[in-house]
Amino acid sequence: MIQTVVYGLTIGAILYFFSVGLALTFGTMHIINFAHGMVYTLGVYLFITFLQALGESFLLALVASLLAMLPVAWVIERFVIRRLYGESLDYAIIATYGVLLIGTDAIKMIWGTTPHPVNDPIGIALPLAGMDLPLYRVGIVLSAFALYGALRAFFKRSLVGKVVVAALEDAEGVRCLGIDVNRHFSIIFVLGSALAVLGGVLYAPISTADPYMGFHILLLAFAVVIVGGMGNLNGTFLAALALGMVMAVTGRFWSQAANAMVFVVMALVILLRPREAH
Amino acid sequence: MLEVLRLDAGYGPARVLHEVDLVVRPGEMVFVVGRNGAGKTTLLKTIAGLLAPAAGEIRFEGRSLAGLTPERRARMGFRYVNQEKRVFSRLSVRANIELAARGAGEPFDAAWRRAVALYPKLEEFRALPAGRLSGGQREILLIGRALAGEPRLLLIDEPTEGLAAIVIEDILRILERMRQSVSAIIVEQNLAVVRRLADRIYVMKEGRIVHEIADPRQLAASEQLECFL
Repeated sequence: MIQTVVYGLTIGAILYFFSVGLALTFGTMHIINFAHGMVYTLGVYLFITFLQALGESFLLALVASLLAMLPVAWVIERFVIRRLYGESLDYAIIATYGVLLIGTDAIKMIWGTTPHPVNDPIGIALPLAGMDLPLYRVGIVLSAFALYGALRAFFKRSLVGKVVVAALEDAEGVRCLGIDVNRHFSIIFVLGSALAVLGGVLYAPISTADPYMGFHILLLAFAVVIVGGMGNLNGTFLAALALGMVMAVTGRFWSQAANAMVFVVMALVILLRPREAH
Repeated sequence: MLEVLRLDAGYGPARVLHEVDLVVRPGEMVFVVGRNGAGKTTLLKTIAGLLAPAAGEIRFEGRSLAGLTPERRARMGFRYVNQEKRVFSRLSVRANIELAARGAGEPFDAAWRRAVALYPKLEEFRALPAGRLSGGQREILLIGRALAGEPRLLLIDEPTEGLAAIVIEDILRILERMRQSVSAIIVEQNLAVVRRLADRIYVMKEGRIVHEIADPRQLAASEQLECFL
């Protein structure tokens, strides 16, 4: 059971890393960003390339892949996302899905379709209740909690964070104070993309890297964002951990239904959530 | 100072404003009155840059505002105070003023002192999430926010709507204090407020300016306003 809990928290932690960017993009810009899946996948492939080039140093390769992805995220925001501000959701879905498809095909052309395994960078297991618990997984869970704390501090204390919290509620009001909301959205978009890359890199040693990994997590992350409440950062954290646990517990007893159960929970939340009166 | 010339505007294909002409002179407090749906809020939002005109022009100190975003207009000295008393509810009262100061390019301490001078109780609420303020306190915070950076033109939408008489008196005192330093267009349905503060009044009906009361002496005894509300 302990293994199931740790597994669930690990999946939840990765979902959290990935979903923060999606939740922020939807909450601030009202854009459903499928391109997030491409950023996640490309970040992992760059990480693998850097890992080989930098003598298998996990940390150096992680930093290098993050730095390499920042301009990619900026280009997507500047030339795709920014043109979609204020447009209907349909345009955003079509445009960002296009970026996802193009990016995935580019990854297949460059790195091929064969899955790439990545070694556990720690390789130590903790003996617990008669079983071995990989320290790496514990580290992922702890890093998700650390990220949650850091983001809370960021949104509470930094000016950029305060602008974003205000814009989540009333972007027009922020603009009418003379603040360039789009510039702050760009910063948040790049931050969210970096977190997706971080999540992808952390997840790579647990699974393998393949060109379609972004598609898979994207759907799960949409469920997280919906269950957590669009643009609700606390809700995103709790929903990611809860849905990770749902996957782990379901998978333990009925592995084929592990993913499906996430969407069952999402449907129940949509059905049972109190609706705002209009 | 501000000239609105034959302005048409609305939401998508729905035209709300039709050939609206309006002038605000320096230091003037101009009121816009009219029934619900007359286009008063649409007029303020169009001047603030939140809605694009379909036709006509808005000029500020002789310069056309065509194509300028709300943030550019705010930096020129425009401040829009919304009708819904929508503060940044998850941020503290202090952070609300901090963002306003940032947008206006003014040090926070100066913006805070000005807001507290208008309404000393803000000091008590400094750390409180703005969402926990009452309706009247929210309106005062919005006005305090709008005054950051010493604006040139306030666009205030129904400042006393839904407020108790005692709170309305607080807001009237605040508006009276600032009338010497800033021009304003105020949308208001409360005629007692209009009579007390207005330098001039525009009456709107079905998206058009149908009447202008330019002489303040007419206002005290005026009963013609009621006809339009």
